[in-house]
Amino acid sequence: MMRHFSRSIVTAALLCLLPTVIFAQNNGGPRMDHENTLPPTPTGPTPMAPDGHPDLTGLWNGLADNLLGVPNQMHNVGIEVGPDSTRDIHSGVQIATWPLQNRKRQNNEQNERAATLLRRMGSNRPIYKPQYWQRVKDFDANSNEEDPSNNCMPAGVPRMGVPSYIAQTPKYLIFIYPGQGGLIATATSYRMIPTDGRQHTNLEDLDGTWNGEAIGHWEGDTMVVDTIGFNSTSWFDQLGGYFHSENMHVIERFHRDGNTLTWTATIEDPDVLLEPWTTTPRVALLNPDPKAVLLESLPCSERDFAHVVTKEHH
Amino acid sequence: MRARMIKLLTQRPIIIAVLAALAFQTAGAQSHDSNANASAKPMAAGAANSATGSSASDVAKTLKTAAEAVGLARWSGVGGQRLPEVDVVNTMEVWASGTTYSPSPSSKSGEPWQPFKTDYHVALGYNPPAMRVEMTRSPSGASAQGSAVPLHTIEVVRDTYAWDESEIGAGLVPGKGTATPAMAAAKNRFLQLWILPYGVIKAALAAGDKTKVSTENGATVITFPLSGPLAGVMVKATLDAQNEVAKVETRCDNPALADLVTETEYSGYADHGEIATDVISPGRIVRKQGGHPVLDIQVKMWDANNPYLVFPVPENVKKAAAN
Repeated sequence: MMRHFSRSIVTAALLCLLPTVIFAQNNGGPRMDHENTLPPTPTGPTPMAPDGHPDLTGLWNGLADNLLGVPNQMHNVGIEVGPDSTRDIHSGVQIATWPLQNRKRQNNEQNERAATLLRRMGSNRPIYKPQYWQRVKDFDANSNEEDPSNNCMPAGVPRMGVPSYIAQTPKYLIFIYPGQGGLIATATSYRMIPTDGRQHTNLEDLDGTWNGEAIGHWEGDTMVVDTIGFNSTSWFDQLGGYFHSENMHVIERFHRDGNTLTWTATIEDPDVLLEPWTTTPRVALLNPDPKAVLLESLPCSERDFAHVVTKEHH
Repeated sequence: MRARMIKLLTQRPIIIAVLAALAFQTAGAQSHDSNANASAKPMAAGAANSATGSSASDVAKTLKTAAEAVGLARWSGVGGQRLPEVDVVNTMEVWASGTTYSPSPSSKSGEPWQPFKTDYHVALGYNPPAMRVEMTRSPSGASAQGSAVPLHTIEVVRDTYAWDESEIGAGLVPGKGTATPAMAAAKNRFLQLWILPYGVIKAALAAGDKTKVSTENGATVITFPLSGPLAGVMVKATLDAQNEVAKVETRCDNPALADLVTETEYSGYADHGEIATDVISPGRIVRKQGGHPVLDIQVKMWDANNPYLVFPVPENVKKAAAN
């Protein structure tokens, strides 16, 4: 009975997603059902700003990987799945792959469970101090209830990943991260990042927030966004139960190459991590439609925990 | 529009069910050393009873069937309706209890080993290859009299390193336990990783054209050489009627590797995870090593959802290995 009910929830959820799939397709992006998760190959020149640095301005949801064209969430897993080969990006290990035409049939419930495994199979994991290993595992196992971004809360930095839209001005960067409705319930967020050479406020004088205090500067052609001043509520990756302390320091790097934008984040948190951890690079694609605009986010819908009957999770 | 999409989604699995030739691209099952043991001799055991039919196609079909039987070969329909199947198994955690056996200091050759009532907890991963076996053992049977203190051990192996921990994660931060290098045990510990059903399938795939398939007494048998630190060890895996790995035997010609001669039986396959994953794991494991029973355990829980399990190598272990 419980299993049947769970299946019903999954089915209902997938039906809820259908309009957003169509929505993304109508937004000028490619189909959502990719043949691979390989990063896009850069094409075209890299536009330069008047100050001589690359211009990061643009709508970076060309891959339309997710609801509303949020860029590149699939690459978050650290696995590149090709038509007949798969690679763990961090370790370079090749992973056994069986081509599409031989694929075993799965129902929706099995799809979800397989997705859970795929999202967690990558080798690039932050190394926590041993006293926190069990906590991370427990958070992940109970993420349906424990995930701090549930119920329309912000995802926070750096979990938000690549912004869907960047505006670059001489003294500021503006990042926009559309909220995601449906099952992936996070709030819309924005960041206004000064690039005028100012220094951070003393950490002791900052009230910890989800996005922290961010300051950007150029290192060659790479924009480096340095952020401190976090609360300890958020998780720093899309999954995994990766909690952090208020002493987290995040260094994001944005590098534009033609119509692609490569993003990484390095997390330093000596309170809980054994060593700094750098995310697997994600490569976002510029929206190919020059007239594309960022569409309105779907309303965030809170999850009904009373009806979460299993620990199967995202 | 929505109705069209629902129809499309429901029909797609039928459309793609057309079978074609299999192609495998695999390696990394033993990523620390890809040099397969080209000189390893096939196992003699059972050869006389074999009906070999080991074309590349047979091997590929057999391994894919075995991979699907335990839920290792999977695809994600979430955002990837057109993606291929991949090996989704990396990290696992197992809780079990039962009996383990060890020779007592006064044991003579040929005498049965001493049984211990054992709580068995394993964390393992294949990328990178690593395993942490935590056992709490109390003497059982006649040998239990007068010795009530349980023996607690934590044995770890990762890549080319092996060490013992006084507590989980010992030796990584000051004041938290000690890590004692145990490099001599590395091969034996690695073997335990690669003779698990998932390790067998991964290693057989990695062995490429050295992997052979045959039939013995109506059962499908897969044979292949291990590589890397376990070069010289041959594996023979027998599948049951559900194509699950039911028995794994290891042999080696090198007398120095005599400890690596094992025979393990797996039964009671089910999804034993706290979180359902459709990854099927054994419910009972029975193992002999060097002819002696060493393990007979019942699985309580087998989490196969790629949980957060890490195996950082303590600095003192790295230094010891370098010397």
